[in-house]
Amino acid sequence: MSSNKNRLGPTALQRMHHTSAYATRQTIFSTVILVVMILLAAYFLLPLLWLLVSTTKTTDVLFNSPMLLPSKPGNFVTNLKQLTNTNGGMYWRWYLNSIGYSTVTATLATFISALAGYALTKYEFRFRKTAWFLVLIALLLPGATLTIPVFLLLKSFGLMNTYFAVILPMLASPFGVYFMNVYIGQSMPNELIDSGRMDGASDYQIFGRIALPIIRPGFVTLFLITFIFSWNNFFLPLLVLSSAKLFPVTLGLDVWVSTLTSPSTGVPPYPMILIGSLLSVLPMIVLFPFLRKYIAAGIATGGVKA
Amino acid sequence: MLAPFAIFFVGFFIYPFFYAFYLSLFASRMGVSHFVGFGNYLLAFKDGSFWSSIVTVAKYGVLQLFTMLLLALLLALFLDSPIVKGKAAFRLIYFLPYAVPGVIAALMWGFLYSPQLNPAIQLLSIFNHGKTVNPLSPESLLPSIVNIVLWEWTGYNMTLYFAGLTSLPLELFDAAKIDGCNEIQTAIRIKIPLLRPIIIFTWILSIIGAFQLFNEPFILSSVTTVPANFTPNMYIYNMAFAYSNFNYSATLSFFLAFVTLAASLIFLYVTSGEQRRERRANAGPGRR
Repeated sequence: MSSNKNRLGPTALQRMHHTSAYATRQTIFSTVILVVMILLAAYFLLPLLWLLVSTTKTTDVLFNSPMLLPSKPGNFVTNLKQLTNTNGGMYWRWYLNSIGYSTVTATLATFISALAGYALTKYEFRFRKTAWFLVLIALLLPGATLTIPVFLLLKSFGLMNTYFAVILPMLASPFGVYFMNVYIGQSMPNELIDSGRMDGASDYQIFGRIALPIIRPGFVTLFLITFIFSWNNFFLPLLVLSSAKLFPVTLGLDVWVSTLTSPSTGVPPYPMILIGSLLSVLPMIVLFPFLRKYIAAGIATGGVKA
Repeated sequence: MLAPFAIFFVGFFIYPFFYAFYLSLFASRMGVSHFVGFGNYLLAFKDGSFWSSIVTVAKYGVLQLFTMLLLALLLALFLDSPIVKGKAAFRLIYFLPYAVPGVIAALMWGFLYSPQLNPAIQLLSIFNHGKTVNPLSPESLLPSIVNIVLWEWTGYNMTLYFAGLTSLPLELFDAAKIDGCNEIQTAIRIKIPLLRPIIIFTWILSIIGAFQLFNEPFILSSVTTVPANFTPNMYIYNMAFAYSNFNYSATLSFFLAFVTLAASLIFLYVTSGEQRRERRANAGPGRR
């Protein structure tokens, strides 16, 4: 009996010891992962926090104070006033331009993509395969290949330095068509079209009354992605716009930054650039928690299907 | 219904494509266009400045792809494992930089790279045998840009991977658990192989993106010296708008598209080659 006990004893102990060692290893493992994740969260957040804090500083304070500690909140107001008063409120003009460019581009491009995606998914016609092939090729084509000829095209139409020059080239979106094709294919059964036809609806009525309400979530997703893409656009405006009145925020801020290194322009406009940058990202960052779901769904459609 | 798209597609994709090719066959001498056939391509092929820009983005691409996509994959796997709490918050924080325009990100990091503004930069000297590091100096420009793009796009790629992971059937993981797989084994043996199509997709996207690099170095050139031929797109931009040589810049654009396509295809071939070998090994007599 005793030998039996002895034999059992160590085994139970061993097991206990083994489990606890396993558990400790598990805890260490998950703690390490958690620490890594928190450090990375800091890496992604701190630059934005720095931007926020910096808007409460004057140029002097900016260079002579702890990076992440705010200075006087009053400075924020002073900086904002300076931003608003420079060049007769040019910054806000850029802001409105950005809103205009992004809203118009996103609305039209999404609608055009929905129409084309719908047609490519639901109709059989000649050259359907060819059209689809061209869209896929365009999707893979580096955008910069086309920039020079698009620039020359806009120039020959006399569209340089107009709102159209920034909007028109963005309206045909191969990604949008691809996305809508996948989305409509998944969400809209063909029977709906047939029943619409039986009720005597025209093709456009079927699209407007039946398809659009069904694909509304996809519409929102594509709108958001295009809006962000357009808000971030820099290369095209840089090429086609020369008058500061038409600039989007991104281009305007870049022009201010480039004055930092040229010595002749007086006081370097650090606070203006910083508060200008913050305000240009603020709406999207504030809305991001609510929009994340739609955006993630949109980019995932491209990835999962490819 | 296709008409609105077709008009803009032809106008801003198909026509420009052929027009660029047409332009690349001519050269302007004393303001008069001459047909030179593939002469411009020959010129581009021998153009050392152009090749050096391609070498730069190739180096950049390797560094970028490995750091960003591995980090994104790791984060997605962490978030998908049961160990981590507060998933929604982490997912949001990592993805947040996607909402920041690349121009603003480059501008912000441009400031953060200045030792006067960011004392933490001095800590980097640990990695440089105690010598101070200037992230905006010519030799550290490349990793500095890698860091900006890493900051902007890691969350985007993580989101893609995470979406892929959540779409995997749960039964698979139950089966793995019954077979005694722990989290790490499940990740390596099951999750990563199943994510393969998405991983390949993100690599292709990032390869194309790397060859296109423009905004970040262009913005940084406002705060430091960046060579005009640092990336192919900067070189093309300068060729067109500083020298008004549209013919040659169209040639270079085509050349770049070709190099990009070739790099993507080579990558696809290599990765599918691995798969072919695996399949052969699995089907081989040894396994039967």
